[in-house]
Amino acid sequence: MDKEQQVAIRDLSLEKYDLTKRVSYLKDIYFRAMPEICIERPRIITKFHENSGLFKKKSITILDKARAYRDVLERRTPIVRHSCSYEKGVKKMKRFKFKEAPLFAGSTTSKFKGVPLYPEFLALALWPELWTISKRASNPFHITDNEVKKLNYEIFPHWIENNITELARKRCYEENLKKYGLNKHDPEMKLLERLVIFLASKPNCISHTIPDFSKAIKQGLRQIIKDVKKKKEETSEDSKKEFYTAISEVLEGIITYSKNLAAEAEKLASKERDPVLKKELLDIAEINSHVPEYPARTFREGLTTIWICWIAIHLENPNVGLSLGRLDQVLYNLYRNDIDTNKLTIEQAIELICCLWLKIGDHVPAIPDAGEQLFGGSGSNQAITIGGVDKNGKDVVSDLTYVMLRATELMKLRDPNLNARYYQSEKSRDYLRRLCEVNINTGATPALHNDKAVIKALVHKGETVEQARDYGVIGCVEPGSNGRFYGHTAAILLNLTSALELTLFNGRHRHTGMDLLISTESGDVTTFTTFEEFKAAFEKQTRWLVEQTTNLNNILGRIHQDFYPTPILSAFFEGPMKKGKDLIQGGAMINSSGATIIGLADVADSLSAIQRVVFEERATSFADLLQALESNFEGYEFLQKRLMNPDKTPKYGNENSAADANVSWIVELLDKAFGEKMNYRGGHYRVGYWTMTNHAGFGRLMKALPNGRKAHENFTSGITPVSGVTPYLTKALNSVAKQPVGCLSNGIALNLKYTPEHGNKEKMLDNFVASVEGYFDDANGERDGGMEIQFNITTHDDFVNAVANPEIYKELLVRVSGYTAYFKDLNPQMQKEIIDRTEYLLSTGKARDFAPFPLPK
Amino acid sequence: MRSILKRFLLRPIPYFFTDIVGVYIARLFSRSLKKELSGKATDEFLELLLRGMDLAFYLSKGYRKNIRDFEGRYLFKTADNLVAASAIFKDGDMEVLEDVIDDWDIMITFKDSEALLAYIFSKDQDILDSILANDVEVEGNLNYIYKFGFMVRDLAHKLGVG
Repeated sequence: MDKEQQVAIRDLSLEKYDLTKRVSYLKDIYFRAMPEICIERPRIITKFHENSGLFKKKSITILDKARAYRDVLERRTPIVRHSCSYEKGVKKMKRFKFKEAPLFAGSTTSKFKGVPLYPEFLALALWPELWTISKRASNPFHITDNEVKKLNYEIFPHWIENNITELARKRCYEENLKKYGLNKHDPEMKLLERLVIFLASKPNCISHTIPDFSKAIKQGLRQIIKDVKKKKEETSEDSKKEFYTAISEVLEGIITYSKNLAAEAEKLASKERDPVLKKELLDIAEINSHVPEYPARTFREGLTTIWICWIAIHLENPNVGLSLGRLDQVLYNLYRNDIDTNKLTIEQAIELICCLWLKIGDHVPAIPDAGEQLFGGSGSNQAITIGGVDKNGKDVVSDLTYVMLRATELMKLRDPNLNARYYQSEKSRDYLRRLCEVNINTGATPALHNDKAVIKALVHKGETVEQARDYGVIGCVEPGSNGRFYGHTAAILLNLTSALELTLFNGRHRHTGMDLLISTESGDVTTFTTFEEFKAAFEKQTRWLVEQTTNLNNILGRIHQDFYPTPILSAFFEGPMKKGKDLIQGGAMINSSGATIIGLADVADSLSAIQRVVFEERATSFADLLQALESNFEGYEFLQKRLMNPDKTPKYGNENSAADANVSWIVELLDKAFGEKMNYRGGHYRVGYWTMTNHAGFGRLMKALPNGRKAHENFTSGITPVSGVTPYLTKALNSVAKQPVGCLSNGIALNLKYTPEHGNKEKMLDNFVASVEGYFDDANGERDGGMEIQFNITTHDDFVNAVANPEIYKELLVRVSGYTAYFKDLNPQMQKEIIDRTEYLLSTGKARDFAPFPLPK
Repeated sequence: MRSILKRFLLRPIPYFFTDIVGVYIARLFSRSLKKELSGKATDEFLELLLRGMDLAFYLSKGYRKNIRDFEGRYLFKTADNLVAASAIFKDGDMEVLEDVIDDWDIMITFKDSEALLAYIFSKDQDILDSILANDVEVEGNLNYIYKFGFMVRDLAHKLGVG
């Protein structure tokens, strides 16, 4: 029976608990170790595909894939403890040895900090730089000569014609040949490959979702296997029989992998002379031989179940925003039992969580050098959610919530990305205060989510109140009902400034050349006589982009259905097991696809500028404005100053009704345009506003805009108002809080920077709490209230120094736009964006004045 | 005639000498190629580069392993069609043509000859960089250009210049 969740601890900060010796040592190694490319998975999976003839098949069944993953799970080396890694040397990376003693066995790759490769997706993009990747300037990966040769001769060649992108391109050819009789015609792929219009995640992953581990913890995988066998016997449909067989296959594989770890731990224990280490290895052997096969009996076994299942999910899918859900809910009963029966102390619980956090961050995504320019510094964005209400609306913040917060505060890690749900009420004020305190102490985490607004947004999209109340955070900031929502929330990353560009230049784009008609003509803007005409043209271009991006996403989704079934992920979802249907075939209870928008504030402010300067005041003609943009405002400095000045040109973030209305118009337009589209699983598209590092990447490519932004400068992150034009914190918060949450159901990231006020921390905390309360407040139903907010709380000087001395600031954690990252890993453009963000001093509520940071060389 | 010469005169070299000798000869060739390249027009340059690669496949058994069982048809050109060269890999061999081939697996169209040189001389032959700079338009299967990028780097690695 579920125990009632409660807060029994008196000191919510748990400040008397510090990092244990074990965790300090592990953390030190973690920060020393450079990522190493791991070829174990691609080697086994390629061999399996070759031996089973899968490369020649016209489609791959879920059973084929299940057998492939079982093979990987059973063949991979069971690593209980790593003993070496590579660290930065003078000329090249050098090997170093260590003796780690983590409390969990197994790892997502064969390396201490691995870079897993998925040749089915985008791993081949690393091919040109295999010889140089360990020396590249930005985020190098270690790789041995032998591994380069294996990838070059034995692995990559098999996937040239068989990775998801290529299969999708061929599908585009076929469909266009049928439709138009055109050979080798793939306009959607072409649009994607221009890289400046939008990005699509499906060539890279089936990810961005939250599996449900509660069944595995409570019942064990053996019981699930029994259940699926029964379901298989009861159904007469071949496809369902195949689905259930596939689930059994992968669950057997997971059990075997855990038992292999147990056997290895036992072997190591037999050789270990230190009695403490010997006992620890025997404990691991005992735990891993029991879970995840059987129900978890203790808190540690519960964590081990999650960890082993999490590893298995990684072997199936690249981790791009795969998230772990509401861990303080899933594990609460086990935690409470252990504490009540004195099997566990709070100190041990924190140590276990710290060890799990480190394990979760044991890999980094494989990003090619050019990708670093757009995504540099990103981890896997594995979100964990704490707090909030349960299905019945009861606030379920508990002791375990505070234990996880303390572990996060002590570790200050990039992954996992901690997200705290907050349900506004008088009783929960202490919890909010603690959340703000952890933000001050870590500088960047956790992100805060407003339960009332998020639940409203999800219900608006058709979820039941119970489903909506059980949301967890996915990837960066996207809300989704735990274990029943497959929303691939980052399917489309749309550069909205390209829609503006196509509007301004009648379907052409300055980046790709003015001779080329990219989209459809929407009229010569210099002939427009009203702002409404301009808006209509913008809507036409936006809808054209929505059409193209959703078309391609659906083609890619169908390729996943034909070639990349997902038995492991399906095994940990509520819907597929009931329906006997793979997750990517629409097996989940809730099916949607997600788009996120880059450049909202820049586009909205550009619209406001055009409205005011061109049409209302007629201070300049459209032709002159275009000329100013073409010359990057050279010779038009006066006009640019005027466009940048919030007193003369309306700017979002100042409670200016015209400017805020333009934002609302855009989010409503996008919600409608995307919402009308069906995805390949029978669901609809949802829209969000979080940008990861893309606002810097896309910004680098785009030319000057009507809001006064010059060419190649960063765009603004997430749903945040443009930096430098919103002098008052309260006004900035209110402008965002009045946007309709029903149109923001794929999540938002409001990025704020507060100046640390160490001299008067309590006062700062009071103001901090008040700013969040005010932003979340729905003003008695007059508005929805802000959905999400996240912070960077580091001094301007520290950021500037960190650019010059990255090694001194190697643990400096920052919020980018959604996820957390280490500042040193970000590309120079992104570092500049964070430094230049509007910084508010809470004690005055005003923005501080800093000169723009020069782009680092 | 050229291909017959290659087949009968060059291919046996690595069988009589070790791969190190082949690589040494290729290195000597690369030096003279470098001299040759200075002052060359882009069209000749592209062809020379491909021919240099072709020669290396003959001289080094280790390098030739890259094209064992590999089939691929590449077309490189500039947007104005003034510069064009094709490379065809088949039966463990490489053929370089000065012409435009139709049935390519990948067609790489550089904005102009400078963009082409920028790609060839870039440190990683990273096509994504060129796409980001809008220097290039690629049609077809990008994986072929990734492999090509590796082969160029591999040659540099073997010649000790990478």
